[in-house]
Amino acid sequence: MSAATLRRLIVISLIALWEILPRAGFIPELFLPSLSSTLAAGWNEAGEYGHALAVTLYEVAISMAFACGGGILLGAIVGSLPRPRILIMPMVSSLYAVPLVILYPVFTVWLGIGSESKIAFASIYGFLPTMLATAAGIQTIDPQLLLAARSMGATLSQRLVRVIIPAAIPTVLSGLRVGGALVIVGVVVSEMLISSAGIGYLISRYRTILDSPHVFAGVLLVLAMAIAFNAAIKWIERKAAIWQTGTRAGQDAAGEVAPAALQPAT
Amino acid sequence: MQSGLAVKAARVAIVVALFAIWEILSRTGIVNPRLLPSASDTLSTLGELLQRASVRKDLTVTATEVVTAFALAVPVGALIGFLIAENRYFAEVAKPLLFFAFSIPKSIFLPMFILVFGVGFSQKVGFGFFSTIFIVIISTTTAVESVKVEHLTVARSYGATPVQTAFRVYLPSMLPVLLEALRISMIFNLTGVILAEMYASRDGIGHQIATWGENFQMKQLLAGVVMIAAIAIAFNELVRWVETRCSHWRT
Repeated sequence: MSAATLRRLIVISLIALWEILPRAGFIPELFLPSLSSTLAAGWNEAGEYGHALAVTLYEVAISMAFACGGGILLGAIVGSLPRPRILIMPMVSSLYAVPLVILYPVFTVWLGIGSESKIAFASIYGFLPTMLATAAGIQTIDPQLLLAARSMGATLSQRLVRVIIPAAIPTVLSGLRVGGALVIVGVVVSEMLISSAGIGYLISRYRTILDSPHVFAGVLLVLAMAIAFNAAIKWIERKAAIWQTGTRAGQDAAGEVAPAALQPAT
Repeated sequence: MQSGLAVKAARVAIVVALFAIWEILSRTGIVNPRLLPSASDTLSTLGELLQRASVRKDLTVTATEVVTAFALAVPVGALIGFLIAENRYFAEVAKPLLFFAFSIPKSIFLPMFILVFGVGFSQKVGFGFFSTIFIVIISTTTAVESVKVEHLTVARSYGATPVQTAFRVYLPSMLPVLLEALRISMIFNLTGVILAEMYASRDGIGHQIATWGENFQMKQLLAGVVMIAAIAIAFNELVRWVETRCSHWRT
């Protein structure tokens, strides 16, 4: 049996088990409602979930603009200038060790429990990884490419448009993927903690009244959002692959940064 | 060495400058001091909080949860990761699934942990375990893959015993990656446990911080934030220091 077939079988049997185990009573419905009852719960309250989804998506869109825009801009600046890089990068990565969730109460005190505090929190949550990834991406550009461009008399703007940006795109995109995923997490988590609207709020509210099917419907919705976002970035990555001019060494270095260090912390 | 010292001095200067800006913003009233108590006030509150028995108890509770979750997640994750990495077929089957599990946000499953475990100790440990284990598995597979085939071949052709191969080839090659993995999984673990405490809990420092936030006790809240940040950064720097000590082993 090929690996792909076995993998598909595993996924299908997991989904089947999700339906069968709770139905057969091996797992209490409170812990894990069956797939069909979850979907039914979501379908029956479609209007409420749709409204919550709109609120969450609005917050995600604005935070993403802040987090990714700011992260890419600052990362590009820090990554391309050696002095600030040596000075700041280690500080930023030790800052990355701080569990940022503890900042959320501060934002609720400053900005209230509306959308503003979620946007502020999610922007900061997504900002650091995007910045780290972009700075690393700028760094991994093969210096020989720059040298060649310079020795053939390319101006700074030519070097930027023709060499630096195309060579940095893969890393920036992987930073964008992580940053964007973190923004989604940040918005949903902050809604779960303290809020009055959005999917996270719905999940929390149904959790307090122990209505598991509705909790899981919300969880599924967030999952779908995260997966859709991932797929969208993957699609862009494929489209941008023709731009990929970085050398193997550069890609290897980029790959080394990407998988472990920059993944969404919870 | 000279420039290294200068860089360190510049970093300290940046941190001091940030605290100074914080102090000035609050003292001069540019920012409402009730919303942003000055840095000196916050630090003195922090000192006072550390004296309190209740805060110390919360810290102990959190530390126990973090350590328990970590002690459970790391061996289990490392074992699974090792098994997957050593078997090519397994790796091909499991890796995409693991990466998928890794990339989905774990925090939205927090309500599920409350439904199953309640709001006590086991829920925090469970969630910490859950948010840590995937990164441990993936880092272990990376670590095993970082062992160079040529080194293994050389060791074998010189007749090294399995024990010698394990200690002289596998361990030194894997150690830097493993330390890095340990550091990052600790970040995940701490975030998971504190989030779980803030979400629904009766004790623990995360719960305390959430309560201060709800009661608009800004001094205590900021002191708590500074405290957690300092602990996290201190741990991170410690492991990084060990990492640099071990880096001469990196091949």
